[in-house]
Amino acid sequence: MKAVILAAGEGKRLEPLTNRRPKPMLPVGNRPVLEHVVEAVADAGVEDVVLVVGYKRDRIQTYFGDGDDWGVNIEYAVQSKQLGTGHALLQAADHLNDTFVVLNGDRVISPALVSEVMERTETGDTPVVSVTRVENARNYGVVELDGQRVTAIHEKPDAHRSQSDLINAGVYGFDSSVLAAIRDTETEPSGELALTATLDEVAREDGLAAVRYGDYWLDISYLWDLLSVNEVVVSRLTDGAGFEPSTSDGAVLADSVAVDEDVRVGENATIHPRVSLGENVTVGPNAVVSNAVVLPDATIEAGAVVRDCIVGENARVGPNSTVVGGNARVVVEDEVHRDVRLGGVVGDNSVLGGGVVVDPGTVVGDHVTVESGVTLDGRVPPNAEVRRG
Amino acid sequence: MCGIVGYVGDGDALPVVAAGLKNLEYRGYDSAGVALSANGGLDVFKSEGEIDDLALPDAHAATCGIGHTRWSTHGEPSDANAHPHTDCTGDIAVVHNGIIDNYEALKAELSDHEFVSETDTEVVPHLLEEVYDGDDLVGALEDVVARLDGSFALAVTAAGHDGIVVARRDSPLVLGFGDDGNFVASDVTAFLEHTRDVAFLEDGDVAELTSDGVTVRHDGEVVERDRQTVDWAADSAEKAGYEHYMLKEIHEQPQALRQTISGRLDVVNGDVDLDLDLPAQYLQSVEEIQIVACGTSYHAGLYARRLLEEHADLRTSVEVASEYEFTGGRDPWRTLVVAVTQSGETADTLRAMRTASAAGARTLAVTNTVGSTAAREADDVVYIRAGPEIGVAATKTFAAQVTALALLTVDVGRTRGALSGDRASTLLENVRGLPGAIQQVLDADDDVRAVAREYADSDAFFFIGRKLGMPVSLEGALKLKEISYRHAEGFAGGELKHGTLALVTEDTPVLAVLTDGANATETLRNVKEVESRGAPVVGASSLDDAESFLDAAFQVPDLGALEPLVANVSLQLFAYHVADALGRNIDKPRNLAKSVTVE
Repeated sequence: MKAVILAAGEGKRLEPLTNRRPKPMLPVGNRPVLEHVVEAVADAGVEDVVLVVGYKRDRIQTYFGDGDDWGVNIEYAVQSKQLGTGHALLQAADHLNDTFVVLNGDRVISPALVSEVMERTETGDTPVVSVTRVENARNYGVVELDGQRVTAIHEKPDAHRSQSDLINAGVYGFDSSVLAAIRDTETEPSGELALTATLDEVAREDGLAAVRYGDYWLDISYLWDLLSVNEVVVSRLTDGAGFEPSTSDGAVLADSVAVDEDVRVGENATIHPRVSLGENVTVGPNAVVSNAVVLPDATIEAGAVVRDCIVGENARVGPNSTVVGGNARVVVEDEVHRDVRLGGVVGDNSVLGGGVVVDPGTVVGDHVTVESGVTLDGRVPPNAEVRRG
Repeated sequence: MCGIVGYVGDGDALPVVAAGLKNLEYRGYDSAGVALSANGGLDVFKSEGEIDDLALPDAHAATCGIGHTRWSTHGEPSDANAHPHTDCTGDIAVVHNGIIDNYEALKAELSDHEFVSETDTEVVPHLLEEVYDGDDLVGALEDVVARLDGSFALAVTAAGHDGIVVARRDSPLVLGFGDDGNFVASDVTAFLEHTRDVAFLEDGDVAELTSDGVTVRHDGEVVERDRQTVDWAADSAEKAGYEHYMLKEIHEQPQALRQTISGRLDVVNGDVDLDLDLPAQYLQSVEEIQIVACGTSYHAGLYARRLLEEHADLRTSVEVASEYEFTGGRDPWRTLVVAVTQSGETADTLRAMRTASAAGARTLAVTNTVGSTAAREADDVVYIRAGPEIGVAATKTFAAQVTALALLTVDVGRTRGALSGDRASTLLENVRGLPGAIQQVLDADDDVRAVAREYADSDAFFFIGRKLGMPVSLEGALKLKEISYRHAEGFAGGELKHGTLALVTEDTPVLAVLTDGANATETLRNVKEVESRGAPVVGASSLDDAESFLDAAFQVPDLGALEPLVANVSLQLFAYHVADALGRNIDKPRNLAKSVTVE
């Protein structure tokens, strides 16, 4: 059975990290989220994968190639405009016949879920949807369940309408008739064609076969989710590391730290748990890193303290700079989020000078230059130059 | 250069050989053919044109076959000149890469045979016909090879013979050992999806492949050739959703360079580990490095020359390999000859290396290809680890060559005591920053495309740069010429006023390298010179206020002496998008083949 993975989305709420890469390429445990999905379908026995790509697709294509490293054969379908998940699936139509599974490229799930959906799909009782229980169900597609059948899907319902904390887990089993059903679905005023709109119609008429799922289901909606999902993924890595970093005397690395190739850790630097250090990362002497995702090619210089923080690709945190860490209030697309654990974000290619202080919740855009000694808070737009004054 | 592939085993030969040819298409694409041996008969399919145009049956019972993709040296592209070539009976089929120098003399001896092509190759099947007794094809090929002058890789099969016999002299051949059969090819990319377990044949080897195994003979004795595992991913040799290999490979540069530098840098102490056996005493006593190379590799050599002279305090000259002689009263004991060749099979570069070796000089190969002739013949090797490159226009291998040569510079400079740990550390910090800096240029691909489209129809393009920007301007012009067929010239900024300025008009954009390491201030004067003649100027620039004096600017992040190398990536994208806008066949430019194994 083929698997279609939807990976064309941009992920605007995750700016600045999605300015240069699509959301599925955000790394947790030093591997893109999408790689965790590809591994799950490969482990479930899928041989042929269709990746629907769009926004910044070169990043995905360069990374996954033709899939040989994962033991699958990957083909690409391009969705040039992001017009919803239904529209995305239609772009893969030429690659599809018979039955297939569909997954989101930005949710980490277990191979067991893929296997179960595949088994149910083979019985012919399609469409199949998977449902799982989450805390903040209102942010997702809440499902109404009648016995083992889904009878409706409400996308991001209002608080008073939400009666269930069961949501659509985003792993589906279809036969090719779903393509016609999507084409028959009315396009939303925004021009989007959501797969869930089609499924809601089918659910209300005939009901949908439901596969219940209770294992890990990890979604990254906001910047701080990257840290919590990274924590789960890193703690699941049995042997901690992955690659031996080149460490100097006195450097200390905790057990649950993910280290990629060619990482250097200087004298007396300390890497606390829940940290991922990407390829070619340098951590200078006496630096302290805890609960952090550090993307490839980044540098954390001598004496810097980096807590609850995301450091972008090729970014530089200057000597003795401090990302204090802790909980903060963060505004995302005019929505205020209180008490979220985010020490700060340093965008790709940004350079913080020496002794910069980053207040909790600060989001520094990509390609920003910050002079030494500055204290940062709030949002710093991309390409900005921040001077003392 | 041509490509050879062969398969014998338990499975169907046709799909394996056809896919292998497709993978080798970068080696030549003016004609193609296959020969399949089945049920005591031999079927040959061949024609002029690309591999996709070759009419092949949907299925064929053969479990043994050979194939060939050709880039003409003797005889124009035509159906008759396409390989495989056969003898008068049509029972022996031969494919060949290389040149048989004495074919006219041999052809004269074979006057009672009927020749149908203009190729040098065709003498081989007819010579085989003379000596082949229907049983011992290996012995027959050994006899024939002894009579040939020139360079060749040959693969032969015959009706009723369930196997392939191959011979190598000066042209590459690699064996592959799979679960369902055995392979032979000019390059591992031909069969990488089937096996990574390989062995490289050496000059003078004759080998017989059957479904059970491979026997290699040398001077009539059975010999073993070392088995190696190729760690290239097969998917590197496929297009992965990109429209062209070239664009895919341009985008692969950050990852390729991470591989190039992986495990080799000690930034803190300013040291590198290239795993070389060059004794310190030797490096201290060396008076000159001579770099020999062709084409893009030559430009990488020019970049390295400045690095070596500045950081290793060592006189360095760069020679076009085909022009190379060991002269000028050089002391062979104090001259290190560095051969730069992506494939490790470039005939001109190999000849230059052998010339140096014969004169007594030590040689070092900088190459991408494990087991290549250059790697085996040189005294020392530095692998650039860029992964397979299929696009005829070299992109990621140029970046990886320069990077590897920068590491060699640090190694030599440190050993000679010419480079302080501090300066070495700065240079290595820049090397370490290459993947990130190049990714930033790639992120701006859309901007480069817009500029390229605007200027695609120009009469000509001039590339200028100084110091380390000079080789980059040569390389930028070469890329544009290769794939867009537009006239382009690159030269040192200061040379502009000594002639070429006469050609500059408002229809000839000038592309300038305005970065660290390239004396941007001086080049800006040249920019003014051409602007006053109305020429539009596009700059690859790390200057703060670049836009103000340029018609278009490609941003280059700060990276010291390696900024010009990063600027080169935007020029690669520019060349690609110009060629794309003009509708060129980017991965298969006319008249060109990837690595040139004839002199």
